[in-house]
Amino acid sequence: MERNGTSRRTLLQAGAGLGLAAGVPATARAQTAPARGGDPLRVGLLTDLSGPFAGAGSVPLFNGSEVAIALFNERGGVDGRPVVAVSADSQSKADVAINEAERLLGQEGLEVVMGVYSSAHAVPLSGRFEAQKKIMWITSAIATAVLKDKHFRYVFRPTVHSDQYAEGTVSVIHEQAQKKLGMAPEKVKLAVIYEDGPYGTGVSSAIEANAKKFNMPVVLKEAYSATTPDLSTLVTKLRRERPDVVYQAGYNPDITLFLRQARSGGLRFRMLFGHGAGWSQIDRLWETFGKDLQGMGNADPAATQMLDWERLQPGVGELAKTFVARYQAKHKMNDLPTHASMGFNNTWIFLEHVLKPAVRKTGGMTAEALREAALQVDIPEGGTIQGYGVKFEPPESSMAGQNSRSLCVVMQFDNAKSHVIWPASLGRDPVLPLPPESPYALRS
Amino acid sequence: MNLLDPFFLEALVNGILLGGVFALPALGLNLVFGVVDVVWLCYAELVMVGMYAVWFLHTQAGWPLPLAFVACLPIVAALGMLLHLLVVRPLLTSPPINQVLATGGVLFVLQGAATLVFSTEFRSLGVDMPPMEVGEVFVSGTKLAAFCAALLGAAVLWAFLKFTYVGTAIRAIARDREVMPLMGVDPRRIYLIASAVGGALAGLAACLLVVQLDVHPFVGLSFGPITFMICVMGGLGNMLGGFLAAFLMGLIISVGGFWGTTEFSYVVAFAFFILVMFIRPKGLFAR
Repeated sequence: MERNGTSRRTLLQAGAGLGLAAGVPATARAQTAPARGGDPLRVGLLTDLSGPFAGAGSVPLFNGSEVAIALFNERGGVDGRPVVAVSADSQSKADVAINEAERLLGQEGLEVVMGVYSSAHAVPLSGRFEAQKKIMWITSAIATAVLKDKHFRYVFRPTVHSDQYAEGTVSVIHEQAQKKLGMAPEKVKLAVIYEDGPYGTGVSSAIEANAKKFNMPVVLKEAYSATTPDLSTLVTKLRRERPDVVYQAGYNPDITLFLRQARSGGLRFRMLFGHGAGWSQIDRLWETFGKDLQGMGNADPAATQMLDWERLQPGVGELAKTFVARYQAKHKMNDLPTHASMGFNNTWIFLEHVLKPAVRKTGGMTAEALREAALQVDIPEGGTIQGYGVKFEPPESSMAGQNSRSLCVVMQFDNAKSHVIWPASLGRDPVLPLPPESPYALRS
Repeated sequence: MNLLDPFFLEALVNGILLGGVFALPALGLNLVFGVVDVVWLCYAELVMVGMYAVWFLHTQAGWPLPLAFVACLPIVAALGMLLHLLVVRPLLTSPPINQVLATGGVLFVLQGAATLVFSTEFRSLGVDMPPMEVGEVFVSGTKLAAFCAALLGAAVLWAFLKFTYVGTAIRAIARDREVMPLMGVDPRRIYLIASAVGGALAGLAACLLVVQLDVHPFVGLSFGPITFMICVMGGLGNMLGGFLAAFLMGLIISVGGFWGTTEFSYVVAFAFFILVMFIRPKGLFAR
């Protein structure tokens, strides 16, 4: 039944069994390794294990974090003190996310909560964490609006933000238009369609801003609900506007709905770019659409298996190798989704570079000690399994709490694999436009 | 505004085809409410179970797709009967709020059960029919086939209700559930049959939707709320009203989206619904 991925049953069973071992309420625990001695260090892990977001990347995000905690504990935790994750399911609903976060902070008395897949959850949650002076460690939600001009002191995001996505996907077309499409960049017509939450809105605004910067026309920009049952009228409007490049920021099922209705609605274009979330579930998308996806692009932080591990900082490549091997063995995956790498990497950054020094310095794990340790993190480029470094913007910055060294790459699908095509220094030459055999390829 | 604009015509066709998607669940929901007088809040989840049944039989068990479609109808019909026997019948004399809460509880049970059995992954049949191209107007072959099947299903239901003894009894019960038992009709049996027919319609809707949408435990969110709105707009329990309201809603969403934006179209649809509730609180087509 579950050929790939992890079911909620598996997650809950693991959580229940290991929670019992720790002598704590079973439904709330997801301890991932035996204790080695010393008081356990308890951290919250808030992700969507049910609802639409679960299948759009939140479960791999959880799984990646789970592997990171297990590995960290196996390597001794913090001087013998293991980390215990108290997990909670947001159920793809913002109100549930808020209630669960309140429970983790209030009833469980935690100082830090990691995870948060959706920007629609991160926006209301971030203010609450800040007000309560507890650490919110965002491993996925990417909307720039979560942090922009907020000057938060207790909210940290080691991963990328939505402005970086658009910079990559618009730059690829700007750089390659003349050479690969035979068109001046200013003549390339762009269309942007996006889910109407903070994630889609953030990405779409950034695409528009980047297009304006390069003087490229946006012929259609339109939002829709991710749970809409129909996008055929939007397809009709896109066909009327005849864009050369379509940009989509969606979760799922809106991505598959759009692709299906675009195919049956006769929509043709030269290129299509997704922007993470559902577009990063390449195994699932390929299973549904197969070679019809050939040549399409996607922006996200790089899944670690796409990188040349030899070029990472000493020891990081080995860590990446261990993670991939464990994840593949446990979840029977071919190509790991980006969210698995995001879950592992951003959790590992916290455990190794924030939690460990904070506990060693203070003997405990107060939010204040964690905050100070986070601001001291200084990891150079190549120092994490996703290739980027880590340095958080200080509170006076307009993007306080954002990792200023995070890196978003643009990938292209090639036979069920993703390959980096931007920045040019990291990847291979992009193939543009879509191959003529693609049902979406513009016939000239 | 050019009404002969091919893109506008395409939006019109899309609206009618979308109405066909909404029509069958609206029909089934109204049938059950009209006869049993209980709203199945979990109706969209019955459709979800049917979609999983088709997906499983075709992609996992290797059944030919038409056979999986045929099997889906009795599976969901049986589920409808079970729902009636286990949940609805014991609550028939309870206050309506208890009935609504109970079927709402079944909604969460079915979503949770689907998550446990099939996980949260999105499942797809991976089948598609080529589009029809008439001038500059594209019509999705899959949606057109689904639309025709919806019309056929509605016609078969109409014939069943019109020309069979059981159908006549169902209509009679829907008209007056107090008097019909005095005429020798066993309402318990009719309720059960209506639940089975309502379930079968959910099964047929599942066959039409599974070729258009990915299956996941929460797929009901995509069409469930709007189906309820359509039923209320057409007049709860009024099968013809719900059927017509489905097409009206499809057209409002499609044409509204064409002239405005996709989000705007839903604003117009909901505003229209509220207006109808003010002007004709018993539904647009209430007799």
